[in-house]
Amino acid sequence: MDVLTLLRTGLGALVAVAGLVAIFGGTLGILRFPDFYTRLHGASVADAPGAALVLAGLALMAPDFAIAVRLLLLAGLVVAAGPILSHALASAAHAGGLSPLSGRYKAPRPGAQAQGDEP
Amino acid sequence: MTALLIGVAVAVSGLLALLRLFSGPTLHDRALAAKTVMVRAALICAALAVAAGRSDWLDAAIAVVLTAIVLVLAITKVFRTRTFQAPLSRPQEDI
Repeated sequence: MDVLTLLRTGLGALVAVAGLVAIFGGTLGILRFPDFYTRLHGASVADAPGAALVLAGLALMAPDFAIAVRLLLLAGLVVAAGPILSHALASAAHAGGLSPLSGRYKAPRPGAQAQGDEP
Repeated sequence: MTALLIGVAVAVSGLLALLRLFSGPTLHDRALAAKTVMVRAALICAALAVAAGRSDWLDAAIAVVLTAIVLVLAITKVFRTRTFQAPLSRPQEDI
């Protein structure tokens, strides 16, 4: 293995390890957080930056250039899709009547008439 | 070789997210865990693509991510209105 490949693989591994730290942090958040909305925050922390870093690391150590370009495109897709899906899940949970653990907002039962004093 | 290790590490975190899929109290937790597991599966496919040096695994990873997007949006639509039919005019529903 010539020096350039060694350098590329080492750098890619470093970037991928940083992504893995974000992924495991987000997974810990998914498992340990008390409420759905906080778990959603943990998941979006893991998915968008964590996956993008891992894919960038993989693109660095990819054997040929075509795979590296497609890996970066996939990273762009995951970064674009993460927040969209998190917003869709949060808005569905909110409209579905899931009230967060703390805070003043009490979600109405699905189908209930909107009371006057709803914050 | 290192790409394979990255794939194994992502697989371990996928199993942890799978734990939330089965133990999630509400339906929304399960939808969230399903999205996470699918993105992890795409990462594993990408790691295998780099490890094997073949690009057809990479197309599988892109397909998994696109499927995850469509799946989660369909799930949230069902959770929101409980049905796929177009809702009749319900005044307080703020679509």
